[in-house]
Amino acid sequence: MQISRREFTQLTGTAMLIAGPLTAQRTPLTAQQVVDRIQANAGVPWQSGTLDAVKAGDPAIPVTGIATTGMATMDVLSRAVKERSNLVITLEPVFFGRLDGQTPPAVSSAPGRGGPAGVNPDDPVYVAKKDFIQKNGLVVFRFTDHWRLRKPDPFAMGLAQAMAWTKYRVGDDPLRYDIPPITIGALADNLASRLKARAGIRVVGNPESRVHRIAMLPGLTTLAAAVKALPDSDLVLAGETREWESVEYAQDTVASGQKKGLIMLGRVLSQDPGMNVCADWLKKLVPEVPVLWLPAGDPYWRPA
Amino acid sequence: MTAKDVLDLMKKNLGGPWNENTYRDVFHAGDANVKVKGIATTFMATLDLLQRAHAAGLNMVIPHETTFWNDRDETKDLTGDPVYKFKTEYCAKNNMVVLRLHDHAHSHRPDFIMVGLVRALGWSNSENTPPPRIFKFPATTLGDLAAEIKRRTNSRALRVVGDPKAKVSTATVGMGYSMGRFTPEVDVVIGGENPETGGALDATEYAVDAEFLGKNKGQIILGHEISEEPGMEDAAEWLRTFIKGIPVQFIRAGEPFWSPKAG
Repeated sequence: MQISRREFTQLTGTAMLIAGPLTAQRTPLTAQQVVDRIQANAGVPWQSGTLDAVKAGDPAIPVTGIATTGMATMDVLSRAVKERSNLVITLEPVFFGRLDGQTPPAVSSAPGRGGPAGVNPDDPVYVAKKDFIQKNGLVVFRFTDHWRLRKPDPFAMGLAQAMAWTKYRVGDDPLRYDIPPITIGALADNLASRLKARAGIRVVGNPESRVHRIAMLPGLTTLAAAVKALPDSDLVLAGETREWESVEYAQDTVASGQKKGLIMLGRVLSQDPGMNVCADWLKKLVPEVPVLWLPAGDPYWRPA
Repeated sequence: MTAKDVLDLMKKNLGGPWNENTYRDVFHAGDANVKVKGIATTFMATLDLLQRAHAAGLNMVIPHETTFWNDRDETKDLTGDPVYKFKTEYCAKNNMVVLRLHDHAHSHRPDFIMVGLVRALGWSNSENTPPPRIFKFPATTLGDLAAEIKRRTNSRALRVVGDPKAKVSTATVGMGYSMGRFTPEVDVVIGGENPETGGALDATEYAVDAEFLGKNKGQIILGHEISEEPGMEDAAEWLRTFIKGIPVQFIRAGEPFWSPKAG
């Protein structure tokens, strides 16, 4: 039986007038209101001029559900539509770059550097993605600069949860875990299996070396962070590094006779569990609608 | 012949101007006045590479990339690091000297590194093709192209994005820390390494979405070493034309990583 809103009001009578929360529920919650709530509760002062903004869609639309993700790929967006999650909160860009689909400021004429800085406005993949978002009434909000500043580090926490390592945390340090001793080979296999990796995980170090003290540096892993972490741990669990920086440092550490290692998960694969932490946070902050984590998955494969 | 003499000969034989302001193509470890017994060219002066060069009786190493883990080989924050100490002491004890050849490996005509990369990919087009250097090949699938490149480069850890069944016939390639750029004419972008996201045009997310939308686009990430090491063999050949009486060898630093099975 369907009950219209007018009938519902008649049925419940005067009780509705004093039931504040119920009345509030009937006012549609807009994407903008969710964004406002995020800004007010991020735990760090909201700065202007950051990457954190609505990148696509109409913020005035009523929210039916929220999906968080490491990267709002077409696959993630289509899963969000199936789940009736029309507000997608993404850590990484939706439109293939820092500019996130804005018209690039200038065309470089430097030799060898031709072409616009961002994605071309007529690009068929860009156009199809933009149309998909519009047709399905999605709003995409990028949440990266502020979520990154949150304490304790949500990416390390998320990765620890995904690996079931939270109980091994060293003191209050969200970046350090003393796990039961394991070979680097077995650890790489565990990571691949728990994070559902395809070919994105790469390892420096002897697969037979046993490690115990893990330092987590998900996301973009700088040399400074790796040089600080590796001497006091057995293995750095990184996101994305540069081959002439942390990779060479880890190689040299191994060549100097230390049974240590470096595992690179990839930027998105290493950070996506941090958006599961974000989903858990949003469930409390936005209790009116369902909140889901839709991981983007490992983008990489390798031929046999 | 001292290491300094080798550098002077390189300047004289480059065939183009030597940039005296380079911070890269200078000595990064050891003593420039050391007597050179033999030269090893390579991708990177890793400790493992230095150990192998020493074992081969070659005390001068000419790498394309860094010695102390950052582009400027800035060491002021590293002096207390145990691996830094180990590596510098190893060089001192064994009279090893490291001279980087980066900028001038690229400014040499032809660019040693691009020549080596194109050869490694099995392509015959000249490196002098103007940017964006679009290579055309008989139509194949992304899966077959990637498998062929993996076989040719002996890579363990190459990564591919996109539909393995996508039909492709054009590609563009970047050396080292660069990735070819997708344009309507380019089916496959290839490169050494690149930021996974947040760049000007993120090839990885683009190729993932292109696959979802059924468009024939793909990305192949070779690794920095796989993309730039082969050209240091060309640099060794060049050195041999004017360094006489001592051995000059190309020694691979080798692909730094391995990869576990999919989860």
